[in-house]
Amino acid sequence: MKKKNDWPFILPAIFVVAVMTQVPFLLTVVYSTLRWNLARPDMPIVFSGIDNYLFFLKIPDFTVVPEFYSIVLQTIIVTVVALVICTVIGFLFSILLDHPIPGVNIARTLIMGPFFVMSTVTGVIWKTTILNTTFGWYGVLAKSIGLAPVDLLSYYPLPVIIFLFCWQWIPFFVLIILAGLQGISGELVDSMRIDGLNWWQSTFRVKLPLIMNHIRVAVMLGLVFIVKEFGLILVTTAGGPGTRSYTLPYQVYMQIFSASNVGRAGALATMTVVLTLLAVNFVSKSMKKNNL
Amino acid sequence: MRANQTLSLQRTAQIKKVIKMVALTVTIYTLAILYFSPILYMLISGFKTEYQAVSPSFVFTPTFETYKSVLSDPSLYGYLGNSIFQVLASSVLCLLLGLPAAFALAFGNFRKKGTRDKIYMWFLTTILLPPVAVLIPLYTWFHAWQLNTTPLGLLMAYVGFHVPIVVWMLYSFFADVPTEIMEASEMDGCTRFQQMMHIAVPLVRTGIISACLLVAVFIWNEFFLGFNLTGNDTATLPVYMSRFREQQGMFIAQLSASSTIAILPAIVVGWMTQKSLVKGLTLGAVKG
Repeated sequence: MKKKNDWPFILPAIFVVAVMTQVPFLLTVVYSTLRWNLARPDMPIVFSGIDNYLFFLKIPDFTVVPEFYSIVLQTIIVTVVALVICTVIGFLFSILLDHPIPGVNIARTLIMGPFFVMSTVTGVIWKTTILNTTFGWYGVLAKSIGLAPVDLLSYYPLPVIIFLFCWQWIPFFVLIILAGLQGISGELVDSMRIDGLNWWQSTFRVKLPLIMNHIRVAVMLGLVFIVKEFGLILVTTAGGPGTRSYTLPYQVYMQIFSASNVGRAGALATMTVVLTLLAVNFVSKSMKKNNL
Repeated sequence: MRANQTLSLQRTAQIKKVIKMVALTVTIYTLAILYFSPILYMLISGFKTEYQAVSPSFVFTPTFETYKSVLSDPSLYGYLGNSIFQVLASSVLCLLLGLPAAFALAFGNFRKKGTRDKIYMWFLTTILLPPVAVLIPLYTWFHAWQLNTTPLGLLMAYVGFHVPIVVWMLYSFFADVPTEIMEASEMDGCTRFQQMMHIAVPLVRTGIISACLLVAVFIWNEFFLGFNLTGNDTATLPVYMSRFREQQGMFIAQLSASSTIAILPAIVVGWMTQKSLVKGLTLGAVKG
């Protein structure tokens, strides 16, 4: 009986996933060592070692921050700030939504809404109907109380992008954290009440440690999803002004589409993947340690 | 006297409870409606004329004119058709590939002990791979072989990226199926394939449906690959929506109506699947 071979069930899936994800990734790493420009078919594709990496990593003048480093920094700022806000607000929303008020499912469903909206729609809707200084709610309300509205997207590109990421991703955090809260047994909640724990103690001393695993899952998946976010940046700021709201995926896109530089884009993409996986690993490990 | 006091104490406690409940209810609903308001305003603005939409307000006489003009734009149907094709075809393919894989991971026998866990972890780490990792080779292939003129290229990319999600979610549902049932059916002489089709699949039907719907929502909303790997004839709805980015506050009604068409399917499906989505996400991950 035990000799049944179950590989046929699983090999097709492994094959397709490998061919469409792992093989291209390995090729990306290979491309990153080539001098290859799509816009210059006259130039031969030659091996160039780590030149493409050096192009981004070298610091010619120590008084100016090279573009690559500021883009990495922007990516980290956007991701970390968005994740912290998502976790904190997501936790608070979940605590609120854990109360058995009449029709609480309607409230939960409304808050879930933004998560299912495609990012390009999120971007254009906020940009035109809310943040626009002439026709949007923000512009009209600011004028009605006598303020001159500034174009937030050009003055504060990163905060606006972080805000929009949070609007989209807080629901996802609520979804997972709320599930954790609802998994806490009713007996425990009752015994906390009998022991006379106040709201603060029961929420942060008892419930929070119990749902740490759920928070870890939310943060890890949130990290992966937020780092790769591209559409929202393209439709709201298009990376601008200048490169002030570029993130790494956006820079990869610009390298391949504006500069047609396969080698450099490959180097950037490789570094992006390595940084993302390192970050995921770090988050997963550090949150596990804190929990134990 | 004392009885009276306890009675009044009880009553004040009750009143306090009611007040707390009302306050909570009001807070939660205010918050939820505020949070949802950008979508709400969009849903409403689609029923305005462009002239009405210029000044933000919730009070107006609704009209179908904007929807009529949006729906009479033939290019919309191209994008809509492409999106529907990608969603249907990739959900079906992901299921065909992912279901047997998840089944074998849950109940299968492999020669070495750790193989199952290793393959499962491999699928999980694939979920973590950002799409930029694959963009460049895919782009050069698509460029060289004109794959961006057919929807099949993008379809393959979508299947590759979403099979791991199906495996992950279905595995967590299969994990709930008692192994005794499987062993019993093996005694009765079921082949593996029969076990899967006649015993496991009916037991995890909700899981299958929700995994499919989740993948459908993800692909419906996917922009990065859809934007970079398609041409004019193969682009999907998120790409269509991204073209509204240059409008600087103009054509709000048109934008709202198109957005509504673009997001309503995903929102409705998403709302329907959120329960099993939680189950799939947390069960799989809290363990690992």
